Amino acid sequence: MEEHTTTVDKPATSRRHFIDLLLGVSVVAWLASVAYPIIRYLKPLPQTGSGGPTHLTRDEASKLEQKQFVIVPVSGQRVIVVNVQDRTCAFSAKCTHEGCTVTYLPGQSVIWCPCHDGRFDLNGRVLSGPPPRPLSQYAVNRQPDGGIVISEERA
Amino acid sequence: MQSIDNPTVESSSQKKEPERGAGETASGALRAWLDRRYQLTPLFDFLSHKQVPLGVHWMGWYYLGGITMFFFMVQVVTGVLLLMYYQPGEATAYESIHFLTTKVPFGWLIRSIHSWSAHLMIISLLLHMFSTMMLKAYRPPREVTWVSGYLLFLLTMGFGFSGYLLPWNKLAYFATTVGTNIVRSVPVLGNWLLEVLRGGQDVSINTLYRFFAAHVVILPLAFVAFIGLHLLLIQRQGMAPPLGEKVAPRGMRFFPSFALRDLLLWLACLMVLAALAVFLPYGPGIPGMDWELGDKADPLAPAYPGIKPEWYFLWEYQLLKEFPPHLFGLEGPQLCLFVIGILFVIWALIPWIDRRAYRDKPSPAFSDLGWAAILFLTYLTLMGWDVGAHHDAEQLTSMQEVARVCAWWTLAAGAVVILVRSWRFGHRWFILTGAALLQVILHGLIGVSYLLAGLISFVLAAIAILVLLYFRRSGADAAIST
Repeated sequence: MEEHTTTVDKPATSRRHFIDLLLGVSVVAWLASVAYPIIRYLKPLPQTGSGGPTHLTRDEASKLEQKQFVIVPVSGQRVIVVNVQDRTCAFSAKCTHEGCTVTYLPGQSVIWCPCHDGRFDLNGRVLSGPPPRPLSQYAVNRQPDGGIVISEERA
Repeated sequence: MQSIDNPTVESSSQKKEPERGAGETASGALRAWLDRRYQLTPLFDFLSHKQVPLGVHWMGWYYLGGITMFFFMVQVVTGVLLLMYYQPGEATAYESIHFLTTKVPFGWLIRSIHSWSAHLMIISLLLHMFSTMMLKAYRPPREVTWVSGYLLFLLTMGFGFSGYLLPWNKLAYFATTVGTNIVRSVPVLGNWLLEVLRGGQDVSINTLYRFFAAHVVILPLAFVAFIGLHLLLIQRQGMAPPLGEKVAPRGMRFFPSFALRDLLLWLACLMVLAALAVFLPYGPGIPGMDWELGDKADPLAPAYPGIKPEWYFLWEYQLLKEFPPHLFGLEGPQLCLFVIGILFVIWALIPWIDRRAYRDKPSPAFSDLGWAAILFLTYLTLMGWDVGAHHDAEQLTSMQEVARVCAWWTLAAGAVVILVRSWRFGHRWFILTGAALLQVILHGLIGVSYLLAGLISFVLAAIAILVLLYFRRSGADAAIST
């Protein structure tokens, strides 16, 4: 085709190229119009948690007393509340390594992720193991009636 | 056959249809009827001339693809049966599996066969893939067959991963949390991919719905499409003749000789599967190969020690552990995913990387690469399995102690591999196997960190290969000049 292109043929081929280009663009646009709703459909809606501070229930509070820790949902997130002597602290219970739920080892006073042996101290800092970041901290407020409130504002 | 055995039938049919030949059977007539409409003679001719190459390799390697397909067919049948009771849902997924295994007659058997067949399918698939790799059956013109088989391997891993979550038990919940979290390390798209995969920020019942759709619809459709392509290519090109020969010295007819052997072997596989499913209904009880239902998944319960993925993911799980939190400005899991990604890409492109096999010449370096890969995976898997840990003791065994025991096992396996290869097959190329074993020695016995040990072994192997290439080239130059 290219060998036989002459000045006379040029308008015809460029018109053909233009039509081909239009066809290509419309195919891409058509594919995009099919793909876009599917992509939006697959992306989950944002979580609609209550968002506010969470009061520990009586069950959760007694569990905290007995086991020295309890895991509770706060704004749709897992939070570990730890009771050490006179201090109560709360951290995200999601290990920063691979997202397993952490637990508390009262004997060693460390927060421990059993999946890959990550260890955190009671300030959320990494002591050992592969977690790349500290656990984020949650604010703990003791109510005058003895109730415990966990809120998302970082302490 | 019936018409020949029974002369009265023969004579009566002859009277009714005089145009049919005297020796013509019912199946022959059916074939003629089909042939007039669909012109099947060329296809039958092709199939009747199809041969399986014989005379160089052990013939057993040729059966592994068929065995893998057999186990897949078992998966389809048992999977459809499980679907009749399984109900995905927060309050039903775990409960329906519990009901299935405790109340439904033979429900335990169907689930047990499905689980056993899944593991046996992966074992036969891995053997099939590695034997194809060692025999260099991927060389031209069969590169696309290799790639289609590689995609089937990835899909099978997808089946294993998605099916693991469906009983909605505690072990599956955390294994899926760790497994899906790896996706987050994908550059740019990571978070989006993670949310799409999980149906939210965390693993929840939405994840189960998505995995269910993938496990019973998306993956099977994709698998059937690729297995169709894989089989079509194999039928069109035939099985690979031995390296360096265009045609195998001898052959066996595919129909009926090889096909009947295949069927007999499938029957044997079914017997083995049935025996395993009946005598070990919850698996052999080793970590990663155990399907006791256990406790129901609870996102608010802490993970517990001994959370492990299925055995074929253990090497990745262990590799994740070996990466430090930060390295070269990246987070450990990101770098780990990058390394795994590179290894998978190399494996997919082997037909194009192996230039000697490409030219139909022996390529000992790539046989060695296959063995090095096996030893690399063995060492990581053994460590992931905590081989050598004292489970009864109060104190957890240190990782170094586990690494030492695993190192001795891997070195023993490596020694056997090298001896058998050099004595039985006359192999002389051991640089990559040597590098894999050096990493095991440095890490397991001397205590160098896993990544540093890997780096040292990699650099030494690269230097050794460059020196070898230099001497080979100068030797070739000398040969040309004389």
